[in-house]
Amino acid sequence: MEIAYIGEQLFWGKIGNFLIMLGFTSALLSGLSYLAALRTGDSSWKKLARGAFGIHAVSILGVIGIIFYLIIQHRFEYLYVWEHSSTTMPLRYIFSCFWEGQEGSFLLWMFWHIILGAILMFRTGEWESGVMSIMALVQVFLTSMILGVIVLGQKIGTNPFVLLREHPEFAKLPFIKFPDYLNRIEDGRGLNPLLQNYWMTIHPPTLFMGFALTVVPFAFALTGLLRRKYSEWIKPALPWTFLAIMILGTGILMGAAWAYESLSFGGFWAWDPVENASLVPWMTLTALGHVMLIQKHRGNAIISSIVLASITFFFILYSTFLTRSGILGDSSVHSFTDLGMSGQLVIYMLFFLVLAMVLMFIRRKDLKDNSPEEQFASREFWMFIGILVLVIGSLQITFTTSTPVINKLFGTKLAPPADVIDHYNRWQIPVAILLCLLIGIGQHFKYKQTDWNQFIKNVVPSAIASLVITLISAIFLGIDYPVPYYILLFASVFAVLANLSYMIKVTGTKFNKAGSSIAHIGFALLLCGALISNSKKEIISRNLKNVDLGKDFPNKENILIEHKKDTLPMGEYYVTYAGKVQEGIHIYYNIEYFKADEQTGEKKKVFELAPFIQLNERMGNVAEPATKHYLTKDIYTHITYAEIEKKDGSNEDEVYQSPTVMEMAIGDTIITSNSFVILEGLDKNIDHESNHLHDMDIAVGAKLRVEDVNKTQYKTLPLFLIRDYTMFHQDTEIPELGLKFSFQKIDPVSGKVEISVREKKSNKRNFVIMKAIIFPGINILWTGCILMVIGTAIAVRKRFSKSLS
Amino acid sequence: MKNKHIIAIVVIAISIAAILSTVADSSTYASFATALKSPNKTFHVVGLLVRERPQEYNPEVDADLFTFYMKDMEGIEKKVLLHMARPQDFEKSEQIVVIGKMEGDEFVAHDILMKCPSKYNDPKSEIESMSRN
Repeated sequence: MEIAYIGEQLFWGKIGNFLIMLGFTSALLSGLSYLAALRTGDSSWKKLARGAFGIHAVSILGVIGIIFYLIIQHRFEYLYVWEHSSTTMPLRYIFSCFWEGQEGSFLLWMFWHIILGAILMFRTGEWESGVMSIMALVQVFLTSMILGVIVLGQKIGTNPFVLLREHPEFAKLPFIKFPDYLNRIEDGRGLNPLLQNYWMTIHPPTLFMGFALTVVPFAFALTGLLRRKYSEWIKPALPWTFLAIMILGTGILMGAAWAYESLSFGGFWAWDPVENASLVPWMTLTALGHVMLIQKHRGNAIISSIVLASITFFFILYSTFLTRSGILGDSSVHSFTDLGMSGQLVIYMLFFLVLAMVLMFIRRKDLKDNSPEEQFASREFWMFIGILVLVIGSLQITFTTSTPVINKLFGTKLAPPADVIDHYNRWQIPVAILLCLLIGIGQHFKYKQTDWNQFIKNVVPSAIASLVITLISAIFLGIDYPVPYYILLFASVFAVLANLSYMIKVTGTKFNKAGSSIAHIGFALLLCGALISNSKKEIISRNLKNVDLGKDFPNKENILIEHKKDTLPMGEYYVTYAGKVQEGIHIYYNIEYFKADEQTGEKKKVFELAPFIQLNERMGNVAEPATKHYLTKDIYTHITYAEIEKKDGSNEDEVYQSPTVMEMAIGDTIITSNSFVILEGLDKNIDHESNHLHDMDIAVGAKLRVEDVNKTQYKTLPLFLIRDYTMFHQDTEIPELGLKFSFQKIDPVSGKVEISVREKKSNKRNFVIMKAIIFPGINILWTGCILMVIGTAIAVRKRFSKSLS
Repeated sequence: MKNKHIIAIVVIAISIAAILSTVADSSTYASFATALKSPNKTFHVVGLLVRERPQEYNPEVDADLFTFYMKDMEGIEKKVLLHMARPQDFEKSEQIVVIGKMEGDEFVAHDILMKCPSKYNDPKSEIESMSRN
């Protein structure tokens, strides 16, 4: 029987579904018409294609608009709205809600393609039909991801307008059968609190814009193959490639900044598979940008250009596959859930790979490279080497990141390396060294042929200066600082100085020509900052109580600090825990840092930090660090553990902590917060009457001696008994110490017993466990990031103005 | 073309090295039984937290030691010594992956990955709370 549900607004969902279908068919129509226009050169095809793309754009924008409207209106009859938003959520997070789920993030990606398509349609002239046909085909695939229709028993895409009551898990529930079920839904599930962060408002759209931009060089390259204009596509595509490098790079760095500011792993980069998945296409994209420059100046890198454009786009799709198919499940914390779309994603990935390969195969005769050998002393030769280094570096990252895929394909059981950071660094530090050296010398070579004497004259001063700087820094870094790090330090300083000297000598005041130098300086500074802040980071919260377990077990990083009592020395600081404040779902812990006055020795407060724990019923509580920024260093402070009082629970649970259960042999000790508990022996002669036992009970007592900090001794005898074949325990209490004892088990074989101790919560001192790390020179890294973006922006502007003129 | 051939060989050689190093460095998803056989090797052991058994964290004594019991996918139960502060909301995790080595009869771990059921968009827990209304 059909139930007449009350209060549902199904109208918008129906419109939305219609728009998705319309968006899908119009993208397909547009793509095919553009291909027809490309073949026939008939302008009526082109008109049709443009119109269809326009309809596609309007449809997708409509879908996006409707989802926003439904989120604002809290229409929880829609699963997507319920899953990702709630009435209590501040409106400023509405964008984050929108792209929290897969469907929304696909729409965000499509949104950028539409903006790009609208520009490319009118700006690319003779290239329009080819480039736009690829764009439209990409949109066909992306729209199919949100179709949510079943064809031949196979579900295609997940639809953002699915109703809550249609979800198989919900459909089973009794309350869904009530016509007024909507009133019974209290609230939406809400946005994951981890994402309630301003970085999460700007990082995803930037990253997806970068993703979207990589399709442009790919579309141009394929069009070049289709039109047999193998080298002509380079010029119009070049500014877009560098724009992609800039935007994708910015997106990745924003993710790093987010991790540094609000994630708990203590750093900006962790070689997480999801991070790697966006870094790899950036590396191949940067390689592509440079190979296109070689092609433009020397005309002998056409195959490499086409191959790299295809590889980059492939890696974008591969990264989408990795993060969205659920295959990373065990190895990454922040990938999406499997929505059963992996098959579709594989098809998407292979389609464009095969398309590029087939086109190259068909045109293989035209692509034969008859150009002369590069000169050793030419810029293109060294750029080519740099490109190879980038590609090799990206392949290494891909191999290791792909272990879950390899496991799936070959049935192996490889896990990520036990020390992931070390594994990647071993490979990527040499890559970074080579890149820095090449960046340093690259610009001092000229295309075609360079005069060696002139080159040496230009480069040697920078090299000597870098060597001097490296040697001076050795005073601070010490003899035992690893040699590869010294080499990287030298290489990055050299890259900075060499580019600086090039900038002063060659570009002079012509600011718009300085783009590449500034970007290269930025890149080298970024690596230099990463090196210094990581290799010289100092964990000042040294836990000196522990035995040293060696390098693999860094068990000395967390320290207990008691409320208003401890003043612990950490590095040059003295640290106290001044108290906590709860604001909404955040508990802030005030950690105060003092410094001793040099003359008087008096401790003065220099700053305080308030790292917090976000209470999060759904995802589990999350701790967020707080960081004090100085010009030369940052002090990072993170709460790794704190007791959090729970409001619910029985009376007993409110007063007592959860029990500590110990398996004890005679003579063993349990340590509580205020005493030692020693098992002295077992007593089998229990007086039945005084212990209120039945006649037939078999009872054993555990003789416990409890000694508090003042050496006062207490004796207690919890009982373990068997009554009518059932085990019981009779507990005892020492009220003076706030302790309860329970004798729960005897192991007849080993003779060991199980004793559980419960302590009053008020016993527990108010404390936190914290970690504090000093990151020196982290600002070198951020300066590098900013310079890299500015430099690339200048280069992009110059290339756009050139390509338009 | 000669340069290009040399370059191609270099690229292939380094790629093979990269693959080999990935395989050599990678640890293995294994059970406690396998980990017991090679005590010096690092393993990733996937399992479930044994809630009935005691968990111990005494930061006063050692803020970097947390012990608990885990049952691996073959049903073998072992004590795990995790050399870290007790992870926030540890008890909420459903599946856990511990990374470390067997030492005697205990698994000494230096890292842990936890999966909370709800993190993976499983609406079941929410449904249960809803149907109580």
